[in-house]
Amino acid sequence: MSSTADHLIEKYMAHLRIELADLPRARQRELEQEIGEHIAAARAELPNESEAEIRNMLERIGDPEEIAAEAHDRVDPPAAVPVEQPRSRTHEVVALVFLLVGGLILPIFGWFVGLVLLWTSTVWTTGEKILGTIFVPGGLVLPLGLLLVAGTGNGVSCGGPIVGGALTCTDTQSTSAQVVGTIAVILLVIAPLATVAYLATRLRRPSVSLA
Amino acid sequence: MVVAGSQDALLAQMRRGTLQYCVLALLAKEERYGFDLVRALAELDGMVTSEGTIYPLLSRLRRDGLVESTWQESPSGPPRRYYRLTDSGRASLQAFKLEWRRFRDAVDHFVERKARS
Repeated sequence: MSSTADHLIEKYMAHLRIELADLPRARQRELEQEIGEHIAAARAELPNESEAEIRNMLERIGDPEEIAAEAHDRVDPPAAVPVEQPRSRTHEVVALVFLLVGGLILPIFGWFVGLVLLWTSTVWTTGEKILGTIFVPGGLVLPLGLLLVAGTGNGVSCGGPIVGGALTCTDTQSTSAQVVGTIAVILLVIAPLATVAYLATRLRRPSVSLA
Repeated sequence: MVVAGSQDALLAQMRRGTLQYCVLALLAKEERYGFDLVRALAELDGMVTSEGTIYPLLSRLRRDGLVESTWQESPSGPPRRYYRLTDSGRASLQAFKLEWRRFRDAVDHFVERKARS
């Protein structure tokens, strides 16, 4: 009879071990040990260790699933409510600085760094990221560069191909073309500034609303 | 049947929520080892449905610092892990007792009166 009892108990313990497998090692060992001892103590009280008695005993101890569920349920910290910590906005601030003037420090590359930081931030929404990409092409490099060209270009106001509206390139000293060019350059200055300012205001959102 | 089912779930939840304080209360009187503790709880009908679930509970109480355990030689077989209440376990039990009395009296106040009238 004893071998049947041993077999049933071994089967039970093996089942329990599987159920507890994803707990930390120390806790697994502790539970296995305690339940193993419980079984030994309960078994010692059985009058003749019949199969029925052993089965009843194991049934009273409960399904390994049930024990494991208890171990998981109560043990794990309440991960459902992560505590939102006041996060630092360094990542975002650096992103905005690089977007705006990065290109002045390292042409194209600096702006590109800002772009990468913009898209890797978890604070802005995708819409805001697209906005930052479209309205800050090259940051202030583009308009400042154009101003430089316009200033040294001996009255030739030539915008070349520009994102957000092509400028007429004219070699006649047409004042209207100059006016249009100036307005366009001003817009090109304002657009990145305004966009960056807007993105900066979005940083003040309470982080909780993001959850 | 839905009502009966949800009532079962509620009772299971209540049992679960109060079980740890019953364990603390048992340990407040004397230190005990697991099997002994389980037996004491099982003496009262309806408190423990699966004896084995006491062990994860004890493990948690120990990690939460409400009980502590020491190994002690047993007259028969290998040494046993004896559990005893810590100061913070005692405080936790005391706080629960006050709340429980209030809760129990409030529920009794409505439930029992209704039943009598």
